Order: sequence, then C-alpha cells, then structure tokens
Amino acid sequence: MAEQDPLKIKVVGSTPTWPKFFLSKKRMKNYEVLEHTADIGIRVKSSSLEGLFRNAGLAIKDISAEKQKTLIPEKHKIVITQKADNREELFVNWLNELLSLSAAEALIFEDIKINQINEQFVDAIAVGSDIRNYKTNIEIKAATYHQLKVQKTGSHWQAEVIFDI
Amino acid sequence: MPENIPLEKIDDFRWRIPKSYKPGMRVSGLIYASEKLLESIYKDKALEQVANVAFLPGIVNYALAMPDIHWGYGFPIGGVAATDIEVGGVVSPGGVGFDINCGVRLVKTNLEYDDVKNRIEDLVSRLFLDVPAGVGSEGNIRVGAKEEKQILLKGARWAVEQGFGTEDDLECTEENGAIQGADPEVVSERAFQRGKAQSGTLGSGNHFLEIQVIDQLYDREACDTLGLNLGQIMVMIHSGSRGFGYQICEDYARKMVESLSKYKINVPDRQLACAPVNSSEGKAYLGAMRCAANYAWANRQCLMHLTRQVFEKIFGSSWQKLGMSLIYDVAHNIAKIEKHEVGGIKKNLCVHRKGATRAFGPGNPAIPQRYRKIGQPVIIPGDMGRNSYLLVGTQKAMEETFGSCCHGAGRLKSRTASAKSTSTDMLLKELSSKGIIVKAFGRNTLVEEAPSAYKDVNDVVDVVANAGIGKRVCRMRPLGVIKG
Repeated sequence: MAEQDPLKIKVVGSTPTWPKFFLSKKRMKNYEVLEHTADIGIRVKSSSLEGLFRNAGLAIKDISAEKQKTLIPEKHKIVITQKADNREELFVNWLNELLSLSAAEALIFEDIKINQINEQFVDAIAVGSDIRNYKTNIEIKAATYHQLKVQKTGSHWQAEVIFDI
Repeated sequence: MPENIPLEKIDDFRWRIPKSYKPGMRVSGLIYASEKLLESIYKDKALEQVANVAFLPGIVNYALAMPDIHWGYGFPIGGVAATDIEVGGVVSPGGVGFDINCGVRLVKTNLEYDDVKNRIEDLVSRLFLDVPAGVGSEGNIRVGAKEEKQILLKGARWAVEQGFGTEDDLECTEENGAIQGADPEVVSERAFQRGKAQSGTLGSGNHFLEIQVIDQLYDREACDTLGLNLGQIMVMIHSGSRGFGYQICEDYARKMVESLSKYKINVPDRQLACAPVNSSEGKAYLGAMRCAANYAWANRQCLMHLTRQVFEKIFGSSWQKLGMSLIYDVAHNIAKIEKHEVGGIKKNLCVHRKGATRAFGPGNPAIPQRYRKIGQPVIIPGDMGRNSYLLVGTQKAMEETFGSCCHGAGRLKSRTASAKSTSTDMLLKELSSKGIIVKAFGRNTLVEEAPSAYKDVNDVVDVVANAGIGKRVCRMRPLGVIKG
C-alpha cells in the first residue's frame, strides 16, 4: 500500500483489512501508526503545536471509527480546556479528554478548532457527530504516558504516544 | 534495549534481572519463563518494564513477571509487584491498568460434546444476538442513577439481588464478587457517564465469550472436587469494568503524576506514577478502584445470566437442570491489600496484579470452603484457536509470588502485524477446519486476535506448572467464540 501513496508517507503495519484511514491522503500526511505488542502508538507531525494537537485528536477518529451513511446529521460543539505542568502531560490530558468525552457523549469528533494553546494550556472546540453515523473499529481506552514524546526540532513539532487498546 | 538487560538463570523456569542493572531499582526482577518463551520476551520492551517496576517505593522481594509477560505501558502485562504499606509502600493505577478488574469466569454444564456438536452454530448466533458486545455497546440491563452506587458497593451481589444469579455464584467469585472499601464518593461524574448503560456488556478487543470442551484432565482429585470430566462443555467469559474503569484509572493516573513531586517519588516512566497507600491520593484511588472492581464483577455476573438464558432457549431446559454452575471468577487487573510473609514476618502488602491472577494455595481462608482442600481455581484463557486451562493455586505461589500466577497466553505480535499476517476469510477457514465457529463485532477484531498473535498457552502453563506456582487441573479447547 505504501508504494501507491503519492505522498510517500511511511505507514507502519498497514494492512488491506484495516479501515480506509490508511488510504486517506488527507490524514496520512499527519501521522503514522507505531508498532506495540498489545496496543497502538502514533507518531504525529505538524509545523505548529496547535496543528500537533489537532492532528493527534483527529487521528483518534481515524483509528477508532469509519464513517458510514449519515443517519443523524446534527453536530455537537464541545468546548475543551485542559492544563498541565508541561507539554507532554498537556498532550496526554488533551487526548484523554477527547477519548473520555467521545465515550461519555457517544460522539466521534470530526473536526477540532484550537482557540488558544501554549505548552501548559489548551482551549479548543471539538465538533462531534453521533456515533451512529460511524462503524466503530476499535476501542481506545486511553492515551498513556509510556514513552510519551512531544518535541520541537527547528520549526517542526513531533509527538509520539501509545494508546491502551 | 532488551538485549542489554542482564538475565541470570536461576533454574530452567526462573530468571533474575539483578538489582544492579539500573540505579534506582530497589529489588531485583524475577521472570518466570522457559528459554523458548524468553526468545519472544526479549523481542519487546517488557523486561525493561520489569526493571522499571522495581523502582516503586516500598516494593518487596522482587518485581515479578509471569511467563505470559509482554510489553504494556508502565507495568508489563503479566507483572506482579507488592509494596509494604507500613514503610510508605505505594499503589500505582498503572499497576492495575485502565480495565480495572478485567477478569474471567468459568461456568460448567452437564452437557457433553455429543449434546452440543450440532448446536454450536445456534448457540453462537443466539449469544451474538443476546449478549451486547463491541465498542461502546449498551446493555439491556438498565440501571437507574440511585442503583448505580449500589452496584459499586455490592458488586455481583447487586446482580444476584436483581435475579441474575444465586448465592452459590457469589461464593465462587473472588472476594465474593464485592471487594470491601469501595467509595463511590471519590468517583468522578465522568466515570459514571462513561459507565452508564454498559452493565451486562462484554466490551471489545480481547474480550470474549467462549463455549469450550474439556479435552485433557491432569488432576483427578481436583476434577472430582470441581465436578469436571473429559468431554464436558464449559463456558468462559472474559470482560472488565468497561468505560467506568478506564475513566477511574485515567483520573487517578493524572492525579498521581501531579503528586509525584509532593511525595518525592522518582519513577522512570510516568505511567508508573503512584502515591503511598496511606496518602489521601492512595486511599482515594483504592476506594475508586474497588468501585470499578465491583462494577466488573456485577458485569460478569450479568453476562453469565444472559449466557444461561441463551442455553435455556436453545436446550429448552432451565440452567439449573443444565448444570450451569459457576466454577470460579478471577480478577487479573487489580491491586489488593493482602497479608504475606516477607523475610519470615507477616506484612500488610499492596499486591498489584497487572495481567496476573491470584492463585492462593490449599487451606487459605479466602478460598471458598468447597475448594479449600485443592486450592483456588485459576482460570487461564488462551487464544481462540488453541486451548484454555483451569489450574489451582499452590503453597509455592504463596511463598514466591504473593499467591499469583499467569493470566493468559500473552500477546506475541502487535495488532497491526497480526492483521497483516492473515485475513478474516483465511482465519475463519482455519478455525472452521478445527471445528471452531467464531463471530466478532469489531471489523478487525478477528485478525488482530488471531491465534498466531498470541504465545502458545500450553508453553505458558508448562512454565507455571513446572515452577510450581500453579497446578494443572484440566484443559479445554474452544468450540464457539463470540468476540467483542
């Protein structure tokens, strides 16, 4: 599959039986899936911290669900604010808040707008669609701190996180 | 990397990571494995995680790893660690995991293979319809807000009070299906929201419901005590505390990451964040964790009730007449306060079992009277294509592993690697050739959970049996499988 990708993005462990997110050029440029014996990791890239948080949030959607016919068109906008002592912990708190809200409200977050962000605070709006508009693929229980990295090299941001599946 | 980790061979089934491996390790690591299993253990980062667990304040004897050990987050899966409460020993939410009281129960029947061989497809189809499973699935067992707290306090007893089982079931459940000390007041509103409507649901991923047949007996006396025979049909249920437990782990892992500096705790991985058992954070976590544990026991009780109903429909007889008694229910993701001997002195320890099963030996008062002579039943699920085991705990386990044993086969391959190595069609054909009928909810569940993704449970059980920390009673093979 990687050979067919005009963006030449490395996809680790992709398979024809996996959902369409591996084929989605739009998403693939933002992250790759990392191997882990029991769980799943992602490496996310962006030119900004804001983009990094957004891309990681949308990767959750790609991994956990696949869009089906829209049964319930109504969208839900949810304000998310998180704070932490450093950017790594902020990143995990952010992803866990998205996962937790997604499960509690039965929503899949399709879009994310970051209003304000620094290394200790994020304020965003997540736009959710009813879970019944999706076929769920895998349940992500949580983002973990294990081998967590959020780094800036020059003008590029990169993060790695392992999800408990 | 793992290849740099020095392993000292103690005997054919025990290996030590010396305390000198990393500055900061308070005890050595002890791994139960054969040379064959070590090959796969070396391939991921599980051994490094064993060494990291040895940093926990108050840890006693060893950071232990069972032969089904594999790379987790923080603790390895298959890890056991006990901390001495009196000397500031800690509790770590990462040492329990997100799926608090993920566990397994084994139900016997008086049916034999010939009674069910032509009904497996009916049973699997009906179970698939009647037992809610899959991501975010909602159960038919609806619970009002007032009752929610009752579940957290009463555990499986709540389900029995609703008519979903009997007193006998409670006697045959670890902690009688309700661990004491649950405190609903320290559970977040979000956890209630996430757990709502999930009672009586199986979940997804590696959770399953399996119809099995006993294909090998190892201990006649134990089989007689348990009422088991060759060719007998069994049902195994693997599930946990669902979203409710995940949220509790997340809430408290976050709090403990924040409080590390307060208690001057230094751990090499933030997922090992912890607090002294006797601190406000430690007490609150244990109170909340016990709520999730009780939720999980109620959940598995409900799942067993739904299963009994399906058997009643298919065989036109009551579950009592079908002999569907619970053998036992064990937790394999939990932290418990237990008394164990350390250096000849009985101590109050906080025993973390992360992908490990309690395996108390004969005579222990925590074991139901009916099993006290043979030891606590220990249920070891394998993969959906090979075997599962029933063992009993031993005195040796009490002496060496704080009464703990392995919890399953243990993963060998990542989900993506497993999915890449087979297709759903190929897998179904392979299983069908062995007479196994499988239905799964998740689109990738089957390929991710393929037998080749797991170690051979026979190898894992060989190690615990040879090391003497578990004693084989009987082996089962699968006939019908429902995956979440």
